[in-house]
Amino acid sequence: MALQHEKQMSFGNLFRRPEAGTFIGLIVVYAVFALLGGSNFIGLAGLSSWLNIAAEVGIIALPVGLLMIAGYLDISVGSIVPASSLTVALIANHFELPLPLGIAGGLCVGLLIGYINGYLVTRTTVPSLIITIGTMFGTMGLALGLTVLIKGSTGVFLVADPFTKSLLGEALGGMFRVGIFWWLGIAAVFYFLLHKSPWGNGVFALGGDKESARNAGIPTRRLTVQLYMLSGLASAFVGVIQIIANSNAQVAAGSVFIFNTIMCVAIGGVALTGGAGSILGIVLGTIIFSVVTQGVFYSGLDTNLVSVVIGVMFLLAVLTNDSFRDFAQSFSAKTKRGTNA
Amino acid sequence: MKSFLRRPAAAALLSLVAAVAFYVIVGRADIFALVKAASWLNFAANLGIVALPVGLLMIAGEIDISFGAMIPAGAITTAMLSGHYGLPIEVGILGALALGVVVGLINGLLTTRTRVPSLLITLGTLTIMQGVVLWVAMRVVGNASIPLKAPEWAKFIFGHLMGNSHQVIIVWWVALALVFGFLLHKTSYGNWIYALGGDKVSARNAGVPTTRVTISLFILSATAASFVGMCGAILFNTTQVSGGMSYIFNVIASVVVGGVLLTGGFGSVMGIFMGTLTFAIVNKGISFTKIEPNWANFVIGTTLVLAMLMNEKFRKMATSYTPLKMKAVK
Repeated sequence: MALQHEKQMSFGNLFRRPEAGTFIGLIVVYAVFALLGGSNFIGLAGLSSWLNIAAEVGIIALPVGLLMIAGYLDISVGSIVPASSLTVALIANHFELPLPLGIAGGLCVGLLIGYINGYLVTRTTVPSLIITIGTMFGTMGLALGLTVLIKGSTGVFLVADPFTKSLLGEALGGMFRVGIFWWLGIAAVFYFLLHKSPWGNGVFALGGDKESARNAGIPTRRLTVQLYMLSGLASAFVGVIQIIANSNAQVAAGSVFIFNTIMCVAIGGVALTGGAGSILGIVLGTIIFSVVTQGVFYSGLDTNLVSVVIGVMFLLAVLTNDSFRDFAQSFSAKTKRGTNA
Repeated sequence: MKSFLRRPAAAALLSLVAAVAFYVIVGRADIFALVKAASWLNFAANLGIVALPVGLLMIAGEIDISFGAMIPAGAITTAMLSGHYGLPIEVGILGALALGVVVGLINGLLTTRTRVPSLLITLGTLTIMQGVVLWVAMRVVGNASIPLKAPEWAKFIFGHLMGNSHQVIIVWWVALALVFGFLLHKTSYGNWIYALGGDKVSARNAGVPTTRVTISLFILSATAASFVGMCGAILFNTTQVSGGMSYIFNVIASVVVGGVLLTGGFGSVMGIFMGTLTFAIVNKGISFTKIEPNWANFVIGTTLVLAMLMNEKFRKMATSYTPLKMKAVK
């Protein structure tokens, strides 16, 4: 009965999907900035400007969102991005080893830190926020210390060969970076993982109630470690893209990702307390965040106010998501009510 | 010995000893120069004034990160009112504190009236206040560093260097720690804070004014941050737009090293105080050693993880402890 009910595509059902509010929000936000920014914002240049931002933050927001659905946070992403960039550059430029080896090295850094995060989170009762603040400091310090030790400076350069650049760091038409396509591809993979595979059910179960999830036979520890490794890997991948595209890496870069990813995910309707959320929501949330961030520059508004606009939009989004969730959860379908009676 | 380990401050004290020992033995630091130096104490005081109310919030089961923007906001408010507009310094000081009260009130109201986690609420107000600070500096005043000339008495109370090296804010920190210690451990308000962090619903059923306590804690934390910013502006005669962001993780780390449980219900003012001291010495002490200062963050991260693990062990000892007498009764 319930299954039949889910299959019915009515307006009410569409409206109660977790990402419905986010989608309406996106339309409103885009319309406002399209009105203010005019053809410059709607045109290719405007489109590419927010898509480029969305791609970088979005690649990390996907696994961070999964972690949040499972009831965890990851602050260390902000230090993994530059750590990975520096590793790639040190291996491929300073030690003059092949670039693929450098890229593999950078990605391994992410996997390793993700593993440490997952290990500490599952083996202790310390909240993940605190653990990942610890590993953030550790990674930041290690990256800085080692870079200065090996290279003697805090910045590292790398000139990638044309083939690698075309795969990871090229901008189509001088505007659309290839990262956008990676982001969409990765989002598709995550969609399959979370919504179409039993693995995804485990993630939701983890965020709902860990104890019951374990009792139901879900390997909660392994799943948590996998989620942290995914988030480390995604952050490291963004680090790889950055070094290939920009040809240089700085130790201090990356801290913007910490709060920006949390914002994208929360705008997308993922509950920080776990158990609720979707990939479509995370992607829509990322787009809203990027449209607002870039839209202000096209709108003629005072650009000093960009943070104010983002902050207000963010608060409005999380507050409406909260009431939307209430609405969705308190709803009982008419047919169901009928059966009950 | 065991009763010492059960106290929330134990891990902070042990980490402090371990960190200093590491710096002295491995880094060959001059311990006397380290003790006499002002850098870590100044750093600790600025951090600690914010860490006290934030720690109380965490004991109550909430978190505030908006203080990262409230520190520059406090500085800008004082400098704008008393520097740019030339109003008396009292107006600037009160203005900064009033701003803290307003932002804290907003944080508190949004947290208590909705079910959105306080981390997200204060992430929102953090972002908004960052923008407001930048906008005020660039549009209203037209300069990121606003000059401020405070009268002698104000400098003496809020921003002068004692012995040409130690900021007067250190005295404020110690005094506030005593006040907060009294509040948390000797008054019913303190009991309410623990009750809130333990179980909100039971606390409310037991007659604890949960909403009022939560809002007051948010006001304390935002106001403490704007107070630190205000003191900085008076001391340095100028302001900075950025600079507060690094406080966010530093303060949380200090509180956690001090044995406060992020999920609420456990912690002490002594612990928060020791945690801040430990964090500051680990952070600033490295420049007294032969170790490259670039490794500072790595040492901080390692200390943080070790302190966390110790805290967890000690907390288990504390919560599973039964006195001998009770065992006998059983």
